Amino acid sequence: MNLLQPVGVVSFMALSAVLFSLGLYGAMSRKSTVMVLMSLELMANAVNINLVALSRFTAPVEMTGQFFAVFSMVVSAAEIGLGLALVLALYRQRQTIELDAMQELEG
Amino acid sequence: MTETVNGVVFLVMSFATIGGAVMMLSTRNVVHAAFWLLEVMLATAGLYLLMSAEFLALVQVLVYAGSVTVLMIFTVMLTLRRRDDAVRPFEPGWGGAIMAALFGGSVTFAIAQFASKLPAGIFPEAAPDVAAFGEKLFTAWMVPFEIASLVLLVALVGAVWWSGGDGQ
Amino acid sequence: MGYIIAIPLLPAIAFAIMAPLSNKARNRAVPVSVAAVVIALGLSVAAFLAVWPGGHGEALYHSSATFATIGTVKLAAGILLDPISATMVVVVTLVGAAVQIYSIGYMHRDRRIGWYYAALSLFTAAMLLLVLSDNFLQLYMAWEVMGLCSYLLIGFWHEQEGPRKASIKAFLTTRVGDVGFALGLAVMYVTAGSFDFSVVLHDFAWAPGAATAVALLLLFGAMGKSAQVPLHVWLPDAMAGPTPASALIHAATMVAAGVFLVARALPIFEASGVALTVTMLVGVTTALVGGLLASVQHDIKKVLAYSTISQLGYMFIALGAGGLVAGFYHLVTHAFFKSLLFLGAGVIIHAAHTQDMREMGGLAKKMPVTTVTFTIGSLALAGIFPFSGFWSKDEILTVLWHGEHYIVFALALATAFVTAFYVARMWFRVFTGPEQTSGLKEAHLEMLVPMGVLAAVTTVIGFGSPYFAEFLGHDGEWPAAAIALTSTAVAGLGLALGWWAYGRRSQVLNTRPLKIRAGWVYSALSQKLYFDLTYDYFIVGGYTRLAEALSGFDRTVVDGIVNGSAAIWRTASAVGESIDRVVIDGFVNGTATLVRALGARVRRIQTGRVQSYQGLMLAALVLLMLWFVVKGA
Repeated sequence: MNLLQPVGVVSFMALSAVLFSLGLYGAMSRKSTVMVLMSLELMANAVNINLVALSRFTAPVEMTGQFFAVFSMVVSAAEIGLGLALVLALYRQRQTIELDAMQELEG
Repeated sequence: MTETVNGVVFLVMSFATIGGAVMMLSTRNVVHAAFWLLEVMLATAGLYLLMSAEFLALVQVLVYAGSVTVLMIFTVMLTLRRRDDAVRPFEPGWGGAIMAALFGGSVTFAIAQFASKLPAGIFPEAAPDVAAFGEKLFTAWMVPFEIASLVLLVALVGAVWWSGGDGQ
Repeated sequence: MGYIIAIPLLPAIAFAIMAPLSNKARNRAVPVSVAAVVIALGLSVAAFLAVWPGGHGEALYHSSATFATIGTVKLAAGILLDPISATMVVVVTLVGAAVQIYSIGYMHRDRRIGWYYAALSLFTAAMLLLVLSDNFLQLYMAWEVMGLCSYLLIGFWHEQEGPRKASIKAFLTTRVGDVGFALGLAVMYVTAGSFDFSVVLHDFAWAPGAATAVALLLLFGAMGKSAQVPLHVWLPDAMAGPTPASALIHAATMVAAGVFLVARALPIFEASGVALTVTMLVGVTTALVGGLLASVQHDIKKVLAYSTISQLGYMFIALGAGGLVAGFYHLVTHAFFKSLLFLGAGVIIHAAHTQDMREMGGLAKKMPVTTVTFTIGSLALAGIFPFSGFWSKDEILTVLWHGEHYIVFALALATAFVTAFYVARMWFRVFTGPEQTSGLKEAHLEMLVPMGVLAAVTTVIGFGSPYFAEFLGHDGEWPAAAIALTSTAVAGLGLALGWWAYGRRSQVLNTRPLKIRAGWVYSALSQKLYFDLTYDYFIVGGYTRLAEALSGFDRTVVDGIVNGSAAIWRTASAVGESIDRVVIDGFVNGTATLVRALGARVRRIQTGRVQSYQGLMLAALVLLMLWFVVKGA
């Protein structure tokens, strides 16, 4: 990709794709619950960048994507709050936050 | 001229974002990872400013940089018994890496396929300001906004319920 | 007529007031709930009287409002008061009020009585909303809320294992039916473009194919809710809940919602034709199976539960024969006499401290009021003149006879016979014979009054049947003498057989007669015709067991046959034997091994690690995305 070409919606989408993949890698490979939650935040962030970019380039006046990004932030804030509360509850119960320690559903 | 400035800002910010994410995943100390996450969030706020989404940039700094990261660090602090526990062995997770690479590759492929259908080129001129944003938020998006506040309230109560109390 | 909206709203408000305070309120919550339902009853009667002279199946009041717009689709909620819904609101509020007043006495010592009343109020509100709704979507929403209430009330004593398991079983089984309902709604919307009764049932011209699809899917939903074979297994277990709740939900109203749904959607069923036949078959199977199973239960509530299943089957028979009035009328009469029987059973259980009929007996002398009301309910169930069950059963039989469904007519008569038999069995065991419990005494007044009211309704309602048919828009007539006499004779025979087996010698305490005379019938029936066992074995037990069963079948049966023929062949030729062992055995055993190996592999996917599930989902997502990209580019 030519780095000097004008910044367009494709640049933002590519950035968002890379960021999302990094978050995905983290969510799939880390053993610590807190690290997994952080990776989820990375992914949510990538989604928001995508929303705002598409809004800016396709509907600059309506700003629909920006509103979606606001609500997406609300949901991910709620998610992270609940997620961390769950981590604390799990820690109290089992003295560990490693994902490997939670395999009760093994068939 | 503005095009070049935009290009430079974008390059710097995207480097900060992706570099921060890579550092977050490669560092072995959980506390350091939380700080790298903070860096990623701030760089993203910069990207929002570049796209003239000032309100979002502000919220990003307040919510993510401000509270989420602090919450992360608190959790790390509460769940570690010793200082050394923060340092973890490196987990390469090859399966996850392959899957993520596959995913990223296919998304990039998809973007390349559809690039011709996307709006090309430079930023459009029209850029409503925060006032316009606020007006829309409290008229057209009123009901979703109220529901969002309800979601937050419920999440708050739920978080207190789960983490508080004396448990069993 | 705007006050009609208040009918479902009052119990809903009562729920909203009580739910957050239910732990604190205890007995103070009771007046709120009872007042709400009694006022709703008054309004319902007013609404019913307003509709009554108009009659003839037309809507008297209709109002609706759009509550959501998705794209161009408008979703509306509305209230529709026509003869059917006017009748139903009276039934629901009357039985609801009776049950709530009765519960004052029945539940007054329970710690969580506040929550109990809250759930009852929510249920009443949902049921009223369901019967008053003017479109299928609203009906479906209310339907699901009722399912939730049913779950909550079955599992009311969730400290114990039994109710907890029963509530989950009920929830999941009805959910299976609800999937059909939801799919039916989707097909309906795609075909007719609307959920409104006025559009779907009157204006839209149904093609037979689409009508069959929608009708069968709706029927499947109704079968789950109304406990029709093979989805009936949850209802007997649901008896683990408090008895008054069983009376309201699992006898009178909620389980009748399936019948109500079919009655409402009957124009679609008629457009299909096939669906009507299926409805009748389901009904007749259920009626007979339920009646037979009721004849071997020892738990008095389970007898009533199976009897409910059987009677609901009766209603389905009527609807399947196109007899809207007959089926709906049986719904109404059944609601009154079955809730009466359940309330009576509650009193009996309280007095005798057991639900097992083998440990009861001689209650007639000590509990006169209960005996009289329970007897009225029993006779109505058996279909004896002049009690309500006689009239509605007769109408169903008349519909079958005029529709020339002679085989179904005969089976329905057989069901009537079985019904009379188990009614006699229950009655003689409980009320006659030696007294086995000391300290029997009559129940409180607040429990007896509702039973008295229901008994009075059961006694007199039958005489209104021709007017009622006219009210619903059909020609009303008194039952034909021939059919009435036949059904009475059959019911009388059933009662006589019941008396001969259980009432003749007052010291008979167990099921000897049936057990001795037809052992295998008895064992099959007492295992509930193996329905639960079958489900446990094949569905709950799962995949691995199926694989093992196949390989076991294989070893004993298929191998046996193969080896047997091999033995004959061996004498003829050694070549044959080797071919046999290598090829045929190999093929047969190979199949079994393959299935088992597959089972073991599939099991391994279930690692219990979140991240491996995540990986699987991601892989599927990547494939899906690539497919879209390749297709779209």
